[in-house]
Parts: sequence; C-alpha cells; structure tokens
Amino acid sequence: MIPALEIRDLHYSYPDGAPALGGISFSLAAGERVGLIGPNGAGKSTLLLHLNGLLPDHPGHCPSVRVDGLAVQSPHLPEIRRRVGLLFQDANDQLFCPTVYEDVAFGPQQLGLDDAQVRTRVTQALAQVALSGFEARLTHHLSSGEKRRVCLAGVLACRPSILALDEPTSSLDPRGRRELMAFLRGIALTQLIATHDLELVADLCSRVMVLSQGVIVADGPMNAVLNDEALMAAHGLERPHILRHLHPHSPVGP
Amino acid sequence: MHIPDGFFDAKVALATGALAVVGLGAALRHARLRLPARRVPLLGLSAAFVFAAQMLNFPVAGGTSGHLIGGVLAAVLLGPSAAVIAISAVLIVQCFLFADGGITALGGNIFNMALIGGAGGWAIFHLFRRAAGGTLGLVLAAGLAAWGSTVLAAIACAGELAASGTIAWSRAFPAMVGVHVLIGVGESIITVLVLLAIAKVRPDLLGLAGPQRRGMEVMAPSSLDYASSRLGGEKAGTLLIFGLLISLGLALFVAPFACPWPDGLDKTAAVLGFKHRESPTRALPAPICDYKMPGISSEGVATGIAGAAGTVIVFGLAWMLTRALFCKSDVEPLVDAAASSP
Amino acid sequence: MHADFLDRYSRLESPMHRLDAAGKLVLALALVVLTVALPPSRAIVLAAVAVLLLMVLVLSRLPWRFILRRMLWLEPFVLGAALLTLLEPGGWRIFLLLTARCSLCLLTMLLLANTTPFADLLRVLRRWHLPALMLTTLALMYRYLFVLVDETGRMRRARASRTFAARRWLAWRASAGVIGHLFIRASERAGRIYSAMCARGWQ
Repeated sequence: MIPALEIRDLHYSYPDGAPALGGISFSLAAGERVGLIGPNGAGKSTLLLHLNGLLPDHPGHCPSVRVDGLAVQSPHLPEIRRRVGLLFQDANDQLFCPTVYEDVAFGPQQLGLDDAQVRTRVTQALAQVALSGFEARLTHHLSSGEKRRVCLAGVLACRPSILALDEPTSSLDPRGRRELMAFLRGIALTQLIATHDLELVADLCSRVMVLSQGVIVADGPMNAVLNDEALMAAHGLERPHILRHLHPHSPVGP
Repeated sequence: MHIPDGFFDAKVALATGALAVVGLGAALRHARLRLPARRVPLLGLSAAFVFAAQMLNFPVAGGTSGHLIGGVLAAVLLGPSAAVIAISAVLIVQCFLFADGGITALGGNIFNMALIGGAGGWAIFHLFRRAAGGTLGLVLAAGLAAWGSTVLAAIACAGELAASGTIAWSRAFPAMVGVHVLIGVGESIITVLVLLAIAKVRPDLLGLAGPQRRGMEVMAPSSLDYASSRLGGEKAGTLLIFGLLISLGLALFVAPFACPWPDGLDKTAAVLGFKHRESPTRALPAPICDYKMPGISSEGVATGIAGAAGTVIVFGLAWMLTRALFCKSDVEPLVDAAASSP
Repeated sequence: MHADFLDRYSRLESPMHRLDAAGKLVLALALVVLTVALPPSRAIVLAAVAVLLLMVLVLSRLPWRFILRRMLWLEPFVLGAALLTLLEPGGWRIFLLLTARCSLCLLTMLLLANTTPFADLLRVLRRWHLPALMLTTLALMYRYLFVLVDETGRMRRARASRTFAARRWLAWRASAGVIGHLFIRASERAGRIYSAMCARGWQ
C-alpha cells in the first residue's frame, strides 16, 4: 500500500540560515486523519508548505516528500498540487478572485478543463460546503465562515486526495467551527490538520503528531499523546478539556 | 488633480490618450517580460495600497486636510514600470467606480499622475539618489522627487487645459502650479515620513541593508527594477520610452505657452527692420471669446462627432433591448496566467 | 467602514441592472463623447441627455439621494476649475456650459458604476483584449481594496487610542506610520497570495 503521504528526513532552513525543520519523517495512510500540534514557531505552517512543493524555493535532487508515491518536485508539481488541497491560515489570502464562482473555478480552469466541466465542478464543490447559490456573490462581502468554506470549495473542486489544513478553525465563531468540524468528519479524504484547537484534534483525529522546534517529538494515537500531561506541558501545550472531564472509558474521538 | 470630463478638448484628449496608451503599454510589456511571477500579485496589492493610502487625512489648517498622491512613493517602492501600472490601475478604478476623473480625461490623468508622477518622479529620485547613499540619501532624494514631480505634473496639466482652450494659460498656470507648489511640499513630507517608517521595520523592501525576516514572506528588494547602479538592455529601453513620452507631452502642451521665441522673434524683427510685418501671434489662441467653447474648434467636426455618438446611442439602445430578451451568461476567468514566467 | 462602500448598489434588481455590461459601457462612453463633443450651438441637446439620464436613474431604482450626494462630493473640483473661466469676458456662458457638460458626464459615469458590478466591467475589458497583466492587477486591486482599507481603519483606531496630544506633527507621523505598515502588510500578503495561486495550479 503506497502511503498517501510520505516524508523522509526532511530538513529546511529559513533564508537567513536559521534552522526550521530538522529531520522530519512520517507517513500517512490513505483516509487517515492526523492532527499536527505544537507551540507557535514550531514550524507547522512551514511543514505544510512542503507538501505541495511551495517550499523549498530551490528543490534539491533527493525529494524528501512523496504524495501517493510521486516525488514532490518538477515535473510532477502540477499533479501534486492537484492532489494536495492546501487550506491557508488566512482565508483572505486564498480567496483572491472578485466573485465566488471565479475563485472556485480557478483550480479547475488551471487544470485545463472546459467551461462545462468547470461549471459542474464549481456547482458540486459549493454543494459540498453547503454554499449552493453563492456563485455570484462578491468575495469581499462574505463572512469569515463563508470565506473559509469558499476556500474549501476551491480546493475540493480540484478533486484532491489529501487535505492539508493550516489552523482551519481560527477566527471562526462557534457555529462556523461546528460546521467545519462536521464537514471534516464527513469527507473521506486523508487529512493533516495543523492547529492550536486541541478540542478539535481530540474530536476528529485518530492520530496526533507534536512538532516542537522543527522536530517531531511525539507521534501516536490521539488518546496516548493528548493525555500525556508531561509531554504536553513540556511543549507549551495542555491536555484538552474534553479529555480531562471524561470518564477514561467513555468514547471520545473519531 | 483628477480632471473631469469636459475640460479637455478632443485633440488634447486624443493626444494624451495616445501618450498614456504607449506609456502604459511599455510598462506592461516590461513587467510581462521581467517581473518574476511571484511579484505579479504585488502589482494589484500595490494599487490597492495606493488607493487606501490616499484616504488618510493629514490635517493642514482649520479643518482642511491633505492627502498622499503616492506617485513617487510607489516608484521608490516598486520601480518605474510597476508604479506606472499600479497608479494607472488606481486611476482606472477611480474613474469607473467613483466617477473621480473623467473617462475622456483618463489619458490625461494617466499621463500626468502615472507617467510624470510615477516614472518622471522615479527619474528625479534616481538622479538625486546617486548623489547620496544610505537611508537618509534615499529618503531625501524621494522627498525632492515628490515635490518636483507634483509641480511638473501640475505644469503639464495647466498646459493641457490651456491647449484645450478651456482655461487660458495665464490663469491656469498660476492657479495649478501655485497650488501644487504647496501640495508638493506636503507630498514630499509624507513620502519622506512613510519611507522612514518602512526603513525602520523592513529596510530590505527599500534595497537597504538591514535585518532579514524569516518565513516565506521574505522578498529580496521588492522593486521590479530597483535603482541599481547600472541600467542595461530592457530596462533602459523602457525608461527611454517614458522619457520620450514625457518630453513629447511637455513639448505639445507646455512649450507653446512657455516658449519665448515668438516674442524673441518679434524683437529680432524690429531690430532687423522688418517691423512692418505682422508680429507673429502665439502658437495657440489667446483667452477665449464669447462663442468659442472648450470642445472642438471646428463646428463641422464637432457636429460630425456628436452625430456619430448619437447614432451609436440609438443603435446601442436597440441592441440592448434585443439582448435583454435572450439571456446569456458566460463567465470567464479574471485572474489567470498573466505573466508568462520565463 | 462597511464592506459595501465599493459596490453598494451595483447588484440591485432593476431593468437597468439586468442589461448587458458591455452595452452599458459602450452607451456610457457614447453619451460622454456626445456631451463633450456637442458644439455650443446645439447645446439644447444637453437637455435631452439630461432627460435620458434621469429616466435611466428612475429605471435603475437607485436612491436619488445617494447619487446626488456623490455628485455633490465630486462637484467642488469642477466648480473650482470652472470658476477660472468666469474671469474671461463673457465667461459666464462658458462656465454654465462647462458645468452642465461636466455634471452630465459625472451622472453618466455614476449611473454606470452603480448599475454594473465591477467584475462584469472587467470581464468586458477582457473580451476587448485588455492586456492580461493589467486585468489581473485590476481584479486583485478590486478584491483587496476593502481588505486594505479595513486594515487601515484598524491601524488608525489603534493609534488613535494611544494618542493623547492633538499636535499636528504627531498626527502626520502617525498617519505616515500607518501607510508604511500598510505597504509592508500588503507586500507580505502579496507573497502569500502568490503561494495560494501556485497551490491551485497557477502557472
């Protein structure tokens, strides 16, 4: 079974020379939902940018990242970028077209689909995020929850196999957050969720990785990692409330 | 300095329109060939930035306030071509979304504010920049360029108004230039302050040495063709085009009024004994009399153009009614592969 | 500031709004050219243009107070420059005609702007083969205009809440600082937008 995502000994330094990621290795099986947690500055966003080749700027010869077995380097990059649906932290950065239709259609158009196919993809994607009928809406008029969902639709319209999400619930109100979590629970794609929202991780993810100072310091089942108070405290995290106030045998998690 | 419709006559509108099209075209071509793909969004964001920056108040006296125009600021931050594109985008949006600046005057406004204000301002900046180095040198050069380009644009504007026959040169020049000599001071101070603020946090955006920032937002000197010591090839060609266009515009609209040679010729004629000949009149008509309106001087041509426009309107109304009956919607991408990355 | 300061009325429902954007643009241009090119002897046609524009205003169901306010906001320059013509002998005729022409053109463009979403105008310009780089710049500018204006507002309020003296020089320093930071943020955002575009396959 080819893993959906495989990373082997990934290193990265910032342009000014400071080390960002030091020797990251892990793999994701198809359909897994994994939480990536860690303190600010750990390198979570930087790691996600490696998944579709946005980093490093100058790729070397030995690819450390493989998606569905394909190496993340040219000439595979267009296909990689279709398969890896990256959701950025600030929805405004990702929603760069004036209308909703144009933005969701951007991906399919770049893939070279014809107008009819693009239209189908857009309609289906908007339906998936419960925003049917929003095609003509102006992007700068949307609420932050709606913007987030349009970004998701834009990514889904490319039919990815992996979703990589960077702080998906930041700046969402409680309802927006619930809707997003319900959505993530419902789709069958492989998911890597980088987040500070530990309650979400406890609720959705079967496996958790802790990234601290550019290194993976823990990688295991959600219950084991999140309940390890010492580990959590050592890396500026804490045991989520949902786990603290439950009977150890009551079901929680995905 | 946004001129509305009706102030420029047809010949000035067409002439400035041609200058603007060529200038903007040269800037776009330069950007298409030399702007790295990762900078393409910066053009749009810079245009939005200039627009937003123009909304800030700088209190002057008793309730009045000044605003940044931003030509030289954009030029220092982005380079001449990108500045021309960004400022033109601002003018186009202001014209179409806010009716700020007439559509027939768009060519003139782009020539004055984007070409003279942006590219011309950059040239003045570059000239002074070579004299002094470091942050202070850069900032002072920008301040001088801001004042100079504002005044120069005002002169060109006065010339365009006078050449249109709208306002006589003897009135337009003192009014426009007098006001803009003062506005230029404000523009200069604001430009200096803004550049100092940027230099403190992100000196690399100005091409100055300073602490690098981490993260993927790091960009090398963000200007498209920042003031390097050597001009060569493509960039020199584009700058030459800007220079030619500005000179041409000034020659067309300003020189006839500012040029002393008609009077000089008169004096010479008197000295040489040809005084009995009629003294040469000024190159363009003096203050307008009763029935000579700003517009097109030839009645026949004016009627012709108005008639053509009227015909277009009638046909257009009929066509639109027909179209309205048969609904058609096709959506095309707006943000697409713009720059062909090398 | 409300998100709709840019496009408050361009998506209303009315016969004018439903018309094709290209047609409206061409008509508006033709009207402006007509108004500007009209020889003074035919000035009476301007009255017909005014009537036509008022009909369009009614059909478009735009609030007339809003249009009036917008026109009054733009008039000062028109009046100021036009006042110079009064200095000529018999200049009052020129002044009146100039003001009439300007105002009609203003009204035309305002009606166009408020019955046609800017995105539609851009699509028309694309069909007319405006250079792609210029279109992308206009589209991105329009998209992020509100975002930047919003950021400006927030930075201004943050500074104002820490400003105690009303000295003019400090106000200048503060506003200039806001502009400086605005550019830095815009520049960094442009980099992120580039990454987002690449992430969805932009070549």
